[in-house]
Amino acid sequence: MSHPPHDQKPFSAMDRRSFLRAGLGGTLFLGTVSVTAGLSGCATAPAGRLNAAETQVDDGYQFQFLTHDDIELFRALLPAIVGPALTEEPEPRRQAIAGTIERIDQGMVRFGPANQKELRKLFDLLNFGLTRVTVARVWSSWPNVTTSEADAFLERWRTSGIGLFNNGYIALTKISNVAFYGHPEHWHLSGYPGPPEWAMNALPQFNNA
Amino acid sequence: MSLTDRIAKGLEAGWKVTDASTLTDNQTHEADVVIIGTGAGGGTTAEILARAGLSVILVEEGRLYYQKDFKMDELTAYASLYQEGMSRVTKDGAIAILQGRCVGGSTTVNWTSSFRTPEPTLNYWADNFGLENLRPEAMKPWFDGREERHTVSPWLTDPNLNNDILRQGCDQLGYSWKVIPRNVKGCWNLGYCGVGCPTNAKQGALTTTIPGALDHDARLFHGLRADKLVMKQDRIDHLVASAMSADTVTPSGVKVHLKARHFVVAASAIGSPGLLLRSDIPDPHNRIGKRSFIHPVNATVARMPEKVDPFYGAPQSIYSDEFNFREGVDGPAGYKLEVPPLHPAMSSGVVPGHGAEQRDNLKQLPWMQSVIALVRDGFHPDSPGGTVSLRDDGSPVLDYPVTDYLWDGLRRAFHTMAEIQFAAGAEQVRLMHLDSPWLNSWSEARAAIDELPMELHRVRLFTAHQMGGCGMGEDPRQSVVNGFGEHHHVSNLSIHDASIFPTSIGANPQLSVYTLAARNSVRLAGKLKG
Repeated sequence: MSHPPHDQKPFSAMDRRSFLRAGLGGTLFLGTVSVTAGLSGCATAPAGRLNAAETQVDDGYQFQFLTHDDIELFRALLPAIVGPALTEEPEPRRQAIAGTIERIDQGMVRFGPANQKELRKLFDLLNFGLTRVTVARVWSSWPNVTTSEADAFLERWRTSGIGLFNNGYIALTKISNVAFYGHPEHWHLSGYPGPPEWAMNALPQFNNA
Repeated sequence: MSLTDRIAKGLEAGWKVTDASTLTDNQTHEADVVIIGTGAGGGTTAEILARAGLSVILVEEGRLYYQKDFKMDELTAYASLYQEGMSRVTKDGAIAILQGRCVGGSTTVNWTSSFRTPEPTLNYWADNFGLENLRPEAMKPWFDGREERHTVSPWLTDPNLNNDILRQGCDQLGYSWKVIPRNVKGCWNLGYCGVGCPTNAKQGALTTTIPGALDHDARLFHGLRADKLVMKQDRIDHLVASAMSADTVTPSGVKVHLKARHFVVAASAIGSPGLLLRSDIPDPHNRIGKRSFIHPVNATVARMPEKVDPFYGAPQSIYSDEFNFREGVDGPAGYKLEVPPLHPAMSSGVVPGHGAEQRDNLKQLPWMQSVIALVRDGFHPDSPGGTVSLRDDGSPVLDYPVTDYLWDGLRRAFHTMAEIQFAAGAEQVRLMHLDSPWLNSWSEARAAIDELPMELHRVRLFTAHQMGGCGMGEDPRQSVVNGFGEHHHVSNLSIHDASIFPTSIGANPQLSVYTLAARNSVRLAGKLKG
């Protein structure tokens, strides 16, 4: 964090009131946007297997939860969430982002129906043009959002006085961070050497390929 | 797979274990007792009843994972061993809930800390809930017995540096600390308790009571979700359960009916009230799901001058109770201080942030140390706990309001944790709070902690200890079960898990659950045999 703690003054009473109003509106939006998105023809079916033209790296992964729109959303957000930890080389960078989105999908499958429903509301709110502009204040569609615009969006939700947006920030960054930094290929970024070699050599579960 | 593994051996020898995802037809089974849940409470109950010669069926929603599956890998473990793939949160999303969902329940993934229920807590229960029989002196033999069963003893190996820093800070400041008793046998001191013990050293339900029950002819269904207890007049007649598909989250459509003389619910402080609510169990005073407690946890991380390697070594070995009961059992909120292990996935999910800032946070992982505070909730009128209710789909959800009383405790805990870390030589400390910068000194931290808003979402909150929701007590108007876990209104229903705690306890709960379940199961076995 760049700013010292004394910049974090409590919100004024005026701010608080307008936040409360917006917060209520936000709750309603989250509750109804899935229906709206469904009616207006947003893709809400899992993307399944993307073709090579879509992913640029067709490794045959079958998406079970994320839709095409969700994948575009994460393609726009991940450069802001984990981008600075990635190589600048385009091809490995693209692959690392594609792999992270696949692990996000894998993780979400195991979240179960109740939390998937919550995530669906969040993603629909972010993907549906009207709410993307009015609630998330992101003017371009996700494929056209620059990394600095994605970062500005994340900062707005992180610093917002509305708990719902803080919650959205945590949901988006937590799953992305875990899927990225938790992946063995990225362990070096946190200086984690992995499980001790001697233990793996001694344990039966690592020795019966 | 080597057959030195207790589970592999047992399966080979013909234990009655059914993976419900393989079932293709609806079916009915019958036993003396059906036990729902295979964690600390269910496992203990199953072993004691089976050894007494009763026929037992165990029902577990999660799957059976054991040594062959425990490969010290976070992402796999979080997806398979934890509730909702580690995404479980309270109703408003503000508190992350760490809870096991597998055979052995949370004992398969906990960090092995094994504390007796603190004496002030037992006395508070006796004084306030009529639980005279649970006074410390009456409970002592039961704790002794369970410590033996689970090989509990203080950790004699040197603590890892992550834990030692808590000790050093306490020493500097004159705060008391102690060595944590752990339930391990031949522990390799690796640090992977939270992702399933890779060496079978952990003496949780999975390696002790579950095999003990299966050796005595108990039958285990895993991947089977308990949907509803069905009453016939004033007794439970059978349990309706749904087989889950191999994906672990979708019901396959196959239904299993389990009939028994007696039913023991041990499905956790979220699962048990959920099952009772789905079943419309008589609840004339509207107590089911009320007074749910979680030991709300907040955390700080420090950057130390030397390498800590917080991912290696027994994850929890030092604790401090300096602030747990200092203000009296029912004064301002007390808190227990412990240390969490820090692996990359967990750390990247717990430390909030993104972009270059997050990259720089995580780059420091080998030098990072963390302290957590577990706030003792439920001992004060301003800490009435949360409520478990049902979502539209019948799944349980915990609504947990954080009261000003708890925020006060959390703020004081932030102070203590940062003070301890700086006293132990931290270069910088950061609160797990959306607005916290890295703080450079104790005085800077003190000022920041006084300023920062104590608000939901901004303060990162966690719970690994779910308690209450089916509280015990002598007065049926204020409790769900009596002091033996026997339901006040349904004679063939007992509850044997942490959901019966009338408050939180002020310590990691596994040994309390083992102990109460053992005591109550011995009594139940006597009644059913009699």
